[in-house]
Amino acid sequence: MARLLLWLLGISGLALLVTAPQWTAGHPYVLHMLVLMCIYAIPAVGLNLMLGYSGLVSLGHMGFAGLGAYTAAVLMVDARWSFWSALGAATLAGALAGVLIGLICFRFRGHFFMIVTLAFGLLLHAVMNNWDEVTRGAAGFAGIPRPRPIAWGEGMISFGQLPNFYYLALALALLVFAVQYLVVRSNLGRILAAIRQDERLARSRGVNVLMYKTVVFALGTAMAGVGGVLQVSFLRVAAPASFNMLESINTVLIVIIGGAGSLLGPALGALLFVGLPEWLRLANEWRLVIFGGLLVLITLFAPTGLAGLLSRAWQRLARREGQP
Amino acid sequence: MSALLVQDLHKSYGGIVALDGAQFAIEGPGIYGLIGPNGAGKTTLFDAIAGTVVPDSGRVVLGGRDVTGWSSHRMAAAGISRTFQECRVLLEETCLDNVLFAAQPKTLGASLAQVLTRASGHRRRCHDEAMRLLSLVRLQDYAHSPAAQLSFGQRRLLEIVSTFISSPQVFLLDEPASGVNPSLLEVLADFIRIMYAERPRVFLLVEHNMEFVMSLAQDIIVMHQGRVLERGSPAQVQASDKVVEAYLG
Repeated sequence: MARLLLWLLGISGLALLVTAPQWTAGHPYVLHMLVLMCIYAIPAVGLNLMLGYSGLVSLGHMGFAGLGAYTAAVLMVDARWSFWSALGAATLAGALAGVLIGLICFRFRGHFFMIVTLAFGLLLHAVMNNWDEVTRGAAGFAGIPRPRPIAWGEGMISFGQLPNFYYLALALALLVFAVQYLVVRSNLGRILAAIRQDERLARSRGVNVLMYKTVVFALGTAMAGVGGVLQVSFLRVAAPASFNMLESINTVLIVIIGGAGSLLGPALGALLFVGLPEWLRLANEWRLVIFGGLLVLITLFAPTGLAGLLSRAWQRLARREGQP
Repeated sequence: MSALLVQDLHKSYGGIVALDGAQFAIEGPGIYGLIGPNGAGKTTLFDAIAGTVVPDSGRVVLGGRDVTGWSSHRMAAAGISRTFQECRVLLEETCLDNVLFAAQPKTLGASLAQVLTRASGHRRRCHDEAMRLLSLVRLQDYAHSPAAQLSFGQRRLLEIVSTFISSPQVFLLDEPASGVNPSLLEVLADFIRIMYAERPRVFLLVEHNMEFVMSLAQDIIVMHQGRVLERGSPAQVQASDKVVEAYLG
């Protein structure tokens, strides 16, 4: 019974997302927010796999998103690649950088690991900010195209139109969530959870810890790359400031507030992160203050984040329902 | 060919010599005890066999294969399964999942393939055996409870049970009896006897509880100051003047 209800909830949530262009008709602003939500949620899913499921707290995550974004920007603008091939290349670039940088970072543990990832995030940002010939430097990389229109039956789907771009963003987000689901609910997910809980035990059970950490790191940074490409194609400009340390910290906040180590956590976190300040009509500069406060409240009262709160409320409800 | 051969192992930490030419051979299946006073080098020897310590010199040979200096995940893949003195289980997972995790394949290829195929046949096949092992140590009622809810002694049993499901060739049990209360100790001893009777393999126990190890093992290796001091049946070892002297200092 409870399971059926959960399915119904999931399907109606999905239906709500799919029909968003219809129910937001006349308020393109809301749809704009939903696209931004997808853009934040995609790298957050990657970080959730690392931080939430495997215990690898990376403070340089958005640096990899930037790497993917700029890779795609250069390929699309300078090399005239299509959006789709550039997206593929950027995903690969994110994964490859994840392998190389991960292998260096995994020489450190705990806090030291975090500091090294922070350093690599700063390094990637410095490259974007200063390599003027390729990245156009601090002024940003303008003129990034949306994907070219694709033929659909008689007509064409143009991604210049917000609803169509929203469907692209939603599809990519759903894809990333599907990958997260498949990984978490598998033997691979069990191995990652074991590494988070007790690395020495995992090793003594035959787990090549370094290899698995590298794999999940690369998976996470590949997802960051996807998010970066989506972002710059949406905004039509790549700015180094979108991929700085503050943005990396924001992604950590999204994952923790949403619920690290839960499937829906990144979506809830991104929803709150994008939606709350807008809803409260607060200027952007208050965003961090609010989220700092929220973070304190969450770590004190709900260490499993919003997703944890929801699932506890759900369990209480299901239990009450089960009683005669 | 010996099942497990330890040859002239040396290991020092700075000026402290932990292993000073330790060597012994285990020819075939059996329950072996490794004892010795504190600081005799038992744990270092154990870690060298399990792959968590790389010896300065000497060899560890497993079933004819030189595995000296292999990392612990390779040792595990080669057929060595161990428990930890400090007792390690996955606290967030249920008891059943702890055992099933030990049973699941750990190679990257197998894990990635399972992500895509979502095949659960292996897990289902292991389920009954996992439940049987859990009930042998009276943990069947906790099968679906997180390991964090267990007492220390129960966690110890869970850890030991988990090592048995992957059917390795050599079991290294590091102080299995420590922290286990007397009634569970009986359960543990019976469990080890049953496991040995079902499939005789090499069981090597480091133990401080003399009564426990003497009642289980038929062959005792005594270590002192980084080397093997004496070896023999429990009666022989207990009668040895050298052993008595080493313990009383």
